[in-house]
Amino acid sequence: MIEILVGLAAMSGLTAVLAALLEAADFWFLDYGEVVVSINEGEKEITAKGGGKLLDLLADNGIFIPSACGGRGSCGLCKVRVLSGGGMVLPTETPYLSPEEAKDNTRLSCQVKARNDLAIRIPSEYFNIKRFKARVESLANLTETNREVRMKLLDPTEMNFKPGQYVQLLVPPYKGSPESVSRAYSIASGPEDKSSVSLVITRVPQGLATTWVHDILAEGDEIELSGPYGKFHLRDTDAEMIMVATGSGLAPILSILLQMALAKSHRKATLYFGTKTTGDLFYTDQLKELEGRLPGFRFVPVLSNVPEGETWDGETGMVTDPIKRKLEKEGGEGKEAYLCGNPFMINAAVKMFMEYGISEDKIFYDKFG
Amino acid sequence: MTRFPLFQSPALDAAELAMRPTADFRHGYLGNDPRKLVEILQADLARVKALGLTHEDLAGRLARITVEATSTGMGNAVVVDGAWEVSVTAARGVLPCPFGHPGVFPKTEVRARNLKTGKEIIWTDLSVHMIHAHGFYQGQGSPYRLDPGELAVFLGLAPG
Ligand SMILES: Cc1cc2nc3c(=O)[nH]c(=O)nc-3n(C[C@H](O)[C@H](O)[C@H](O)COP(=O)(O)OP(=O)(O)OC[C@H]3O[C@@H](n4cnc5c(N)ncnc54)[C@H](O)[C@@H]3O)c2cc1C
Ligand code: FES
Ligand SMILES: [Zn+2]
Repeated sequence: MIEILVGLAAMSGLTAVLAALLEAADFWFLDYGEVVVSINEGEKEITAKGGGKLLDLLADNGIFIPSACGGRGSCGLCKVRVLSGGGMVLPTETPYLSPEEAKDNTRLSCQVKARNDLAIRIPSEYFNIKRFKARVESLANLTETNREVRMKLLDPTEMNFKPGQYVQLLVPPYKGSPESVSRAYSIASGPEDKSSVSLVITRVPQGLATTWVHDILAEGDEIELSGPYGKFHLRDTDAEMIMVATGSGLAPILSILLQMALAKSHRKATLYFGTKTTGDLFYTDQLKELEGRLPGFRFVPVLSNVPEGETWDGETGMVTDPIKRKLEKEGGEGKEAYLCGNPFMINAAVKMFMEYGISEDKIFYDKFG
Repeated sequence: MTRFPLFQSPALDAAELAMRPTADFRHGYLGNDPRKLVEILQADLARVKALGLTHEDLAGRLARITVEATSTGMGNAVVVDGAWEVSVTAARGVLPCPFGHPGVFPKTEVRARNLKTGKEIIWTDLSVHMIHAHGFYQGQGSPYRLDPGELAVFLGLAPG
């Protein structure tokens, strides 16, 4: 029995090695020649060496498709429409494709091999996504777990982002994290200065990226990022805004408020910022200053735990509690909601807003966040 | 695919490589456990069977506590079933399962304290999935290792 198991184990090890070799051989030794990828009916055409993943080919040519798994086929974010030349849909793709997407030839670009000419369609905003080199200008610990990283963009020197959008930070390998990884972080700075970008990064237990940011990254370091990504941004209406943030979810909301201040907006907006204790609050001075600059804006911090002996005359409880009281009185009709923060808060708040009559298309947050 | 493995298949080789790219990989998974992945899976399966339980029993209880705590606590500590004090924190973002099939899991961290014994354990959504789908409780020294015997006692599924 033991011999059979050892034999099988040896054989399986060999098969794994062979599979890896075949994959490498396919790319290096099978010559697919040059392939042409036509994007959005010829709006852009790329000629490149064929054989690799469509996702990588596009990135090598300056077109960055969102991805949260580094091309392993497990996040479902890298969707593009492949109008011709993509071959059969793979079983690894089908779990991520809705019936409508399957019908309109949506594919996971990390699963499509560029082995012949392709015609694809991507949202036009993807053309605006660029890879940047940047230098860390300053690092500031805002709370015990939140760190602000301010970066000067070196090449290209400006980013055209909509407040609310995010960047992907490329974290290089370091001890304990042997491969580079890339992670999404919302832009906290306002649109007035396009040559710098600030992020607020919360430490996560055993986190590959956040450990690097909190323990290794130093002022003056050169880093790489790409962006801007995402559909979370201010809608151009006069609707009253209810903004809800927890933790580093405050970052994109602050960026939107700075945009409103720049535009001298008179829009009615209330920000509910939920934290556990006063020690977890940050950017308070900036938000109070924004109350002065934005006549329709009110900042409401909400603490879930007020330690004994501490005086706090503000709101307490879940961040959704005071919002619920407001909606109880006024109803939700005609209002817009902007949310960013922990996924439980988002789920609970979306449910609450819909119960009070704010329709789903007026509730904005980063899906997959 | 690997809940009752007989030998170290190519799929397990690939999973082991993803879990142990270096000895000090921050995510742990195999920790400093010198055993092959298949040996860890087989040893833990035997322990679960000896307790008269299944992987589903343990994962199911962990999942139920997680759901209770997230729906009522929204990140704050809550008492579940009068037996455990549980707080769940969640970073935005998702991560893939190292066994390499489709699907991603939220970056949650659940801390639960057994109110009777005072013992505290930590798990994540991915931990629950890996127990349920792969019978994987992680290697010795992983920050997220859940010893099946201790886990069963903690969850009230086996006598202490
Ligand atoms: C659109 C978007 C915007 C975002 N903006 C921000 C922002 O502005 N600020 C911010 O701080 N974050 C933001 N995030 C989250 C960020 O992208 C990262 O997900 C987060 O910082 C954690 O990354 P990490 O590499 O440190 O953790 P990772 O290493 O990716 O994950 C660590 C977690 O994985 C789990 N895990 C690891 N190993 C195991 C194991 N062996 N067993 C079980 N579970 C395990 C645990 O839950 C652990 O805590 C955003 C995410 C999205 C999608
Ligand atoms: S990049 Fe994650 S599925 Fe393609
Ligand atoms: Zn899995």
